[in-house]
Amino acid sequence: MGAYFIGAHELLGWVDGLRESTRIIGPVAKRQRFVFAELESAAQLRLDYDVTILPPKKVFFPPKQQILAFDSERVSDCIDPVPTVLLGVHFYDVKGLDMTDFLMRERYEDWNYLAQREATTIVASSVQSVAPRAFWGSIGAHVRPQGHDAMLTKVSEGYVLETRTPKGERLAGLERFRHATDDEVAGAERVNAAVMDQCSQLMPYDSKEIATKVRESFGNEELWDDLAMDCFSCGSCNIVCPTCYCFDVRDSWNVDQTSGQRTRYWDACLTREFAAVTMAGGQKENFREHHASRFRHRFMRKAAYLHDKLGGPACTGCGRCAAACTANIADPVRVINTIMGVTL
Amino acid sequence: MTKDEAGFDNIFLPREAKIIRTSRPTPSEKHFTLQLADRTSLDFVPGQILEVGVMGYGESPIGIASSPTRTDSFDIVVRTVGRVTTAINSRDVGDSLWIRGPLGHGFDMDELRGHDVLIVAGGIGLCPTRSLIQYILDRRDEFGRFTLFYGARDPLQLLFTEDRLEWRRSDAIDYHETVDRADATWTGNVGVIPTLFHKTAHISPDTRVVICGPPVMFKYVLIELDKLGIPRENIFVDLERRMKCGVGKCGHCQINDKYCCIDGPVFTFAKIWELEEAI
Ligand code: SF4
Ligand code: SF4
Ligand code: FES
Repeated sequence: MGAYFIGAHELLGWVDGLRESTRIIGPVAKRQRFVFAELESAAQLRLDYDVTILPPKKVFFPPKQQILAFDSERVSDCIDPVPTVLLGVHFYDVKGLDMTDFLMRERYEDWNYLAQREATTIVASSVQSVAPRAFWGSIGAHVRPQGHDAMLTKVSEGYVLETRTPKGERLAGLERFRHATDDEVAGAERVNAAVMDQCSQLMPYDSKEIATKVRESFGNEELWDDLAMDCFSCGSCNIVCPTCYCFDVRDSWNVDQTSGQRTRYWDACLTREFAAVTMAGGQKENFREHHASRFRHRFMRKAAYLHDKLGGPACTGCGRCAAACTANIADPVRVINTIMGVTL
Repeated sequence: MTKDEAGFDNIFLPREAKIIRTSRPTPSEKHFTLQLADRTSLDFVPGQILEVGVMGYGESPIGIASSPTRTDSFDIVVRTVGRVTTAINSRDVGDSLWIRGPLGHGFDMDELRGHDVLIVAGGIGLCPTRSLIQYILDRRDEFGRFTLFYGARDPLQLLFTEDRLEWRRSDAIDYHETVDRADATWTGNVGVIPTLFHKTAHISPDTRVVICGPPVMFKYVLIELDKLGIPRENIFVDLERRMKCGVGKCGHCQINDKYCCIDGPVFTFAKIWELEEAI
């Protein structure tokens, strides 16, 4: 596909132009931090953000999503995609979406997610500032971001837009863009390569080695008790994670008491009752009773279980969990590096 | 999977099933015979599950309790344990339940065919295995010696009275039952299920064994099977987990890296042995 250049002063005009025909979701400021939200004007766009509170997964898999509607006669579904341009996604979050794309397609396709995914054009953007807890420079470096339609890189004087798909190509109307020169494209490449060394945290191991060692550590109760010490099972580390996709399903009634809906809500495997079941005998059985077994499960999934399916770790290195954890224990850098450093 | 009006496959869209017969084998269990509202037949293998729901309350994973060899309807047995199962068990003939499935990996019939089969069922674990029992009885000449052990806490908890009467009389099945605690009327075996192994001398090391029941039962049954020299690959265990989606997405049923809902509920014991979280 093509490579284009747009001057810095033209960018907002381009975004406002797109806004006339489609919904645009991008990073905007929220108090001292950033969130993905629908743009009310291009001026809100903050391509200089470091990381958003929640990953862009929420566009396709919202924290609360109605999946069925019912009345006394019938049950119908609620898949209703809205054409959207998702603008300004950092590469590590594109990698996160690649993983949820795969997982939502695997075996049983979940069109409650996929329909909105297909109705969305994703424009990735270069990382202009690095979040303090990020470690995307070293984790899963062999996995390249796939599921984006165009990549916008800030260079001096403006931006280079490299289109990856016909959907992306359609965004580059030529009134504001011109074809980029080879130098500009090479410059964009240098910008994106240079930022990879900017994370202050490192996880200097091959993800396959990590997968093997983490899996082997399963039975080391002492190690996991130590690592999980102070965890109060709040589930924040799950909720902010781009590659977590567990959910709960609950029904509710409308005021008429005959119609209602079935809704799915994000759920968190770190919370106490996540794997609890009332057995046929009536007794409660919690398959992950202890907080350390839940903490361990999260790392088993991220580093080992999903690794085989995905061909890399189910962690993008965004650092959101590290920042969200009040006990300051959820950071994969601390946990993985500790495991890699001990003799099991 | 069901398609919606826009043509999207929707893994959450249930099908309507009409209740055509019910009975109350025990005060807490209800036995339903169901028929799909569109009159199509349910295509499944023994051991598979359904998500059974009442709109406004939710869904619960339930093993199918009848055999696919008996086609025009299918059975489930639901024990009242929570809000959803209470709602299901308040429905009656003429009402509808909303089902998704069949889901999951059932019994590999080809692994059982041509061999002796022993089924060990504890409590409500008899319900999902009833599908297999009927299947074997309907195609009796495809299997070798067929033995069934069934145990319940007390005589009042014993399910499928008519079936048991038939099994006791039949030459096609070597049936043994026991209760943990007898009452005044009980004249049969008393003791936990593993004690039944001493009642029959006909379990060959080549037998394929199916276990379904509370986890506490597994350990003791496995000790007996070990004594008989039955290898782990030939033992099949029907597991129970918390399930929400039934299609390998929601994460609730995970056992290490396996999903009880799509990789199970039936696992070989050899597989379970590798999974620290299984039993
Ligand atoms: S690791 Fe931290 S964020 Fe995660 S559940 Fe425990 S305390 Fe909460
Ligand atoms: S585990 Fe933490 S660092 Fe890794 S993707 Fe999830 S939130 Fe980001
Ligand atoms: S029940 Fe949802 S993943 Fe198995």
